[in-house]
Formats: sequence, C-alpha cells, structure tokens
Amino acid sequence: MVSCRSSGHALLCAALAVLAASTANTASAVPQPASLPRVLRFGVIAEEPNEPGKMLRVYGPLLARLREQLRPGGIELQPLVVTRDLDELAGCLTRGEVDFVIETVFPTLALHEHGAKLASDLVVLRGGKREYHSVFFTRLDAPIRTLADLRGRTLVLQALRSTSAFALPRAELARAGLAVVPADDALASKAAVRYLLAGSEVNQAVWVLHRRGDAGAFNERDWATLPEKMRAQLRLFHETRPIIRGLLSFRAALDPGVRARAREALLGLSADDAGRAALAAAAGISRFELLTAADRAEIGSWRAALRAVGAR
Amino acid sequence: MIRLDGIGARYAAYMAALTLAVVAVALAAAGFMAFRQLRLIQGEIHGAVAAARATDEEKALRGSVSYLAGRLFNPAHQLDVERLWEEITLAREWLPIVSFAVVGSDRRILADDTPGFTRYGDLVEGPLPSLRSPAPLIVTRGKETEVRFLVHSGDVVAGWGVLVLSEAPWRGSLRGLEESTGALWAAHRVSLASLGALAFLVTLALGLVTSGLLSRSLARPLAEMSRAAAQIASGNLDERVDVRYPGELGELARALNSMAAELAAHGDALRSERADLARKNAELERFSYTVSHDLKSPLVTIRGFASLAENDVAAGAGARVQDDLARIGSAADKMHALLEDLLELSRVGHVVHPPEDVPLTELAREAVELLRGRLVEKGVAVEIAPDLPVVRADRRRLLEVLQNLIENAAKFTGDQASPRVEVGLREDPGRRVFFVRDNGRGIEARHLERVFELFAKLESSAEGTGVGLALARRIIEAHGGRLWAESEGRGHGTSFCFTLEGA
Repeated sequence: MVSCRSSGHALLCAALAVLAASTANTASAVPQPASLPRVLRFGVIAEEPNEPGKMLRVYGPLLARLREQLRPGGIELQPLVVTRDLDELAGCLTRGEVDFVIETVFPTLALHEHGAKLASDLVVLRGGKREYHSVFFTRLDAPIRTLADLRGRTLVLQALRSTSAFALPRAELARAGLAVVPADDALASKAAVRYLLAGSEVNQAVWVLHRRGDAGAFNERDWATLPEKMRAQLRLFHETRPIIRGLLSFRAALDPGVRARAREALLGLSADDAGRAALAAAAGISRFELLTAADRAEIGSWRAALRAVGAR
Repeated sequence: MIRLDGIGARYAAYMAALTLAVVAVALAAAGFMAFRQLRLIQGEIHGAVAAARATDEEKALRGSVSYLAGRLFNPAHQLDVERLWEEITLAREWLPIVSFAVVGSDRRILADDTPGFTRYGDLVEGPLPSLRSPAPLIVTRGKETEVRFLVHSGDVVAGWGVLVLSEAPWRGSLRGLEESTGALWAAHRVSLASLGALAFLVTLALGLVTSGLLSRSLARPLAEMSRAAAQIASGNLDERVDVRYPGELGELARALNSMAAELAAHGDALRSERADLARKNAELERFSYTVSHDLKSPLVTIRGFASLAENDVAAGAGARVQDDLARIGSAADKMHALLEDLLELSRVGHVVHPPEDVPLTELAREAVELLRGRLVEKGVAVEIAPDLPVVRADRRRLLEVLQNLIENAAKFTGDQASPRVEVGLREDPGRRVFFVRDNGRGIEARHLERVFELFAKLESSAEGTGVGLALARRIIEAHGGRLWAESEGRGHGTSFCFTLEGA
C-alpha cells in the first residue's frame, strides 16, 4: 500500500509512488521501453484513518480479480494507493501516481475542481441500484415540515466529501434558495442554514435526537438501516431528486489502450460468480455500466449546482 | 477346599463377621476422617485462592474500567455513537462482556453492544457513580458482575459505562480451579472407595481363610471329637480320634480315646461277667434241679426201703431187713457223696490257696499216682510230657483238675483195646494250651459243652456224680484260664484243653 498526502507530503508521496513503481518494474523516471508491461494504479481515500487496513480488505478481492483479468493483456495492476483525503488523491492523480478512482458524484466533481484531470467512463451500481437520493429528517416533535423550515436552524451532516450526506443536501438547499454555512460561521446570516458534521450517519441521527441539531440528511439506504429505536423517534420531511450512485473515473492522461482494456475488464467482472463476489466485497458494488449521455448531462447539472454553492 | 459345617461353619461365620465388622468400622472411620480432612483442605484452598484472586482481579477490573472510561470520554462527550460502538466492539475482544452500554448524561443509553442499538434511549435505573464518589460500583449477581463507572475528565462528566461481565474473571479462574480440584477430589474419593472395597474384599478373603484355618485347627477337631463321642456313645467303642492335635485338643483327644478304650475294656468285662453270670444262673438252675432231683432219688430209695424194712420187721423177715438196711445205707452214702461234691464245688472260687510255682509235669505224675489203682484196673497207659512248664497256681486245685481230667479219660476208654491218656502242651497262636488227650470213645460235637454241666452224664450208667468236669472248669476259670473239650466225634477220642493265665 502506498499512501500520499496533500501539500507538504506530495513530494514524499511521489517518492513513495516512484519507489513502489521501481520495486515492481523499473524506475518511472526512466522512459519505459515498449516491451515493458504497462501499469495501472487504483487510488482511494481512507474512510477511517484509524483503520488503515480497511480499504485493503474492502478492495483487495476486486483488485486481485481485476489483476487476473488484466495480466494476459500485459497490464500490471499495481498495489492499492490509499490517500488521506480528497486533496491528496487529487495530487496523486495529477502526478500520475493514481490511474483510476471510484467515488460518488460530488467527490468526483471535487477532484476536478482540485485540478485532477479525470474522465468518468463507468457508472457504479451499489445494491443493484444505479441511483440514489438523500432524505431530510427531524425529530417527531420538531416543527420542521419543509426545507424552508430549516431557515436559521442547524442541519447535521456527515462529512465534507459525502455526496448523499453533505453535497447533495447542500445542493438541494441551495436549489431551494437557502444559504448553507458552517455552524461556527459567526458572520453568516441568521437566516442561513447552519451545518454540523457528525462524522457518521448514526451520529447524525443521535445528534438530532439529542438536539444538537434540528435536522439531518443522508441517503435513503442510511435511513433504512438506521437503528429502529432511533428511526422511531424521527420522521422524514423531504427527499432530493435521484443522483447517480457512483462513478469510475480514469486519469485523463492514461494510455488509451490501458484505459480501454481496464474498462473492458471492469465491465466484465460481474459476468461470473467470483467477479460478483469481489465486487460485492468492495462496499457492495453490483456491477459497472457505461456512462450514458444522459448520465453525463446529469453530472453536468450537478457540477453546476456544486459551483453555485461554492463548495470546495 | 475347606469344608465347613456344624460348629466349624458357625465358628468361621462368627470369626468372619467379627473381622468384617471390625475392618468395616475401621475403614469407615478412616474414610470419614480422610474425607473430612480433604473437604477442609479443599475449603481452605478455595478460600485462600478466592481471597487472593478477588483482591488481584478486582484491582485489575478497576484498572480496566479506568482505561475504558478514558477511551469513552471523547466519543461520549461528542455524541460520537459510531466511535462508541467501535470502542465497545474493541472491549469485547478482551473482556467477557455480557452487555455493555454507554449512558449519556441524561441517564439514557447512548450506545450499546447490540448491532441495532436496541437499548438506545433506555433509562438506566439504580445508583451511578458521581464526581463526589467516582469509584466504580461493582455488584455481583450470580455468575455475572455488573460494573458501573463514571466517564469523565476532570469535572466534565460525559456519561457512564454500564458493563456486565459474564463473571468476574477471577471467579472464572476460581471455578476452573474448583472444577479441577473437584475432579481431583472426586477421583480421590473414587480411589478411597476402591481402596476400601479392595480392603473389604481382601479382608473378607483373609477372614474366610483365617476362619477356615482356625476352624480346622480348633472347631474341626472339636467337631471330629464330637462325632467320635457320639459313635462311642452309640456303642462303637473302636472309634478313635486323631491325637496329633496340639495342646489341650490333643489331651482331650487322648482322654477321649482312653475313655473309649476303658469303656471297651469294661464292656468286655461286663459282657464276660454277664455271660458268666448267665452261665452260673443256668448252672444254678440246673444245680437246683439236679439237687432236688438227684438228692430226691436216694431219699426215695431210703424211704422206700425203710418202709420195706418196717414191713419186713413186722413180718419177721430178718434177712430182708438186712438187705433193706444195706440199701438204705448205700443210698445214704450216695447222698453223702453228692453233698460232698456240692460242698467242694461251692468252695471253688471262694477258698483260694496261696499261688505257688507248680511244675506241671510233676503235678501230672502226682495225679497219675493218686489214680494208679483205677488206671491199672482199666489198663490205661498215661504219657506225660516231660517238659511241661512251671506255672504259678493253686497247687491243690490244679491237682484236682488233672485228677478229674485223667480219671475222666480213664472212665470213658470205651472199647479201646489199648487205652491211652496223654498229658501235654501245644502252642496255639498267642497262647499255650495244655491238654489231656485220650483215645477213648470220643464226644459228639453237640455234647462237647454239655459235659461241663453240673451232674451231667452222657451215659446214665457212668460212674461218679457228674460234678468233676464242672468242678475242673470252675478251678481253671478261677485261675484266669479256660477249659474246653475237643473231639472229632465218637470213636476218635477226646482232648480236654485248658489255658492258664501267665502260662
């Protein structure tokens, strides 16, 4: 596993990536002869910094299966690159240390905003669903009935890079004409919706129940899996329009041949049981599908929404 | 195989029962003491280990709780339920947790160890530690131990932890120890019971063998002697018991044998005396009859001739009177002879002359000399063995015997042209037999004993009173011997044989 950090750690990350590459093949600084095997590197953001091995456990079977598929084509799948956050992953992509990523829509768009040149080719289906949406919830006894009732109140969200529990609700609020600001923004208008980051979906619910916030938002699957005792004390009052479940994006500068071969292999993973099992282990991925023009149009609209709220 | 019956069996049973009772009581007492001692030791070990473990493990438990409280403070304070779940999950890996709940400052459960947070929001009843008394509350209920601890940092209370352990770790160790020691004690008890059973069986076997041996050495001889005594009592005086037994048993056996022998001897003597008495009674009867008959005969003669003499005197027939008186005199002489012989016979056995050494050859010659006139008259030749022994006897009586026997031989020579009498000695097995043998007319076998009866006469015309042979037998018997007659029948002569005690 190779881990890269943003800013001050970029050089170190690059050095580690180079070292890793040189260990596997030859030094990347040296022009590769055509006969040398081509490489492909997958990068992720560590969801839980305290448990670095988790991403390896999640994506290990998928990569192993993919490696088997690519090797006959002369493509060597390199070890997983685990980054600390979006900035670090963007840096790795920019420097060519990561060749493809799997993220939800908003982080993918954020990577673009951070300078990473990405080309999204595949839609990621999770739990058999191509799309999902976010729901807004509040306590049973709360006087909140619509998004407008959130004006001047506090919304509990999950994390900055979450699509369904941050970006999508925020975009939905923006679309409704509500300003969304951090809870500690002393300069913000009193009418703005203030947000807190609880770190996890269940924390969002608890914070709402303990009146640390007035409402919360996450995707409908999170609502369904919320502990029954918590869900019984909450109610939904709004849901967003659907959004693509996830995107698989390649580094734009990646060798087209490698990219095509990788895309073909990824699409074929769900063709057999072993591949489906490897996909399921990767955070419940069902399969990959080619991105359609409609998908691209939708992504474009979300990009516009993201820019409208000035999100990072 | 030792066979026990009667007193032997009872003796063996008593001994075995006594031995078993003693051993059983001893084993029971020893087993009870050992068992009680073991229980005491077990209890002491249990108590000591429990005390030591309790102290150490309670310290460890308090330390663990303190560590957990530190780990839980931040997530509890921040309402980070996700993190609380992770901490609870981590704690399950090193503590035997039955349930684990983190309680918020409102005393309601914030997070618990169930996958769906099923206890979320439940109110926690009962006492909880506070800043004034922050020590964990440890309560043991059965096999479970509940620990309630304060989650705080300085004066900031984030909540409480309520931890239920399947059992205090030290109790688990103790239970393991108790189980292992329990198994050890159980095995020990089984060993004790097996040992007891083995000892019982060995004792039973030893008791039976010992009892059998004792029975053989004590009771069985007694039983044997009892049977012998019963045999003796039933008349089997030849029954004897083994006298090889040691000590008093041997003496008792010897005494029993001696008693049997004496009884046999007395029995023989008694039977002999009884036979003698019977014979004498018969003899007395015959004597009475004979006396009344034979004495009556001369009296009848005397009475008859006296009457005739009276008539003849009255008739003046002097010559016939003389004849009558002669006949009366003859009858009186006969009566006198009979009475003399009877008197002599009665004396035999009562008047005993002092015994002396008697050379029999010489005594026989003396008898022949006294009978010479009759022997010469009859032409009887008498041959006396020259080497007859000297015997210890009443000389006069023994002379009468020889006289009677030689005279009797001379009396019944029959048609023998050369009558001869031989006085000699022959050696029979175990005894010396004197005999007076003749070659006279002999005696039929059926009369061989009758000739010794008083006044018995095989021929009525024979001379004498018929007392001689009876008299001779009585004299011989008075000397501890026997007198009998042997003959192969008429015409073959007769031998009168006698034995003498000490001859």
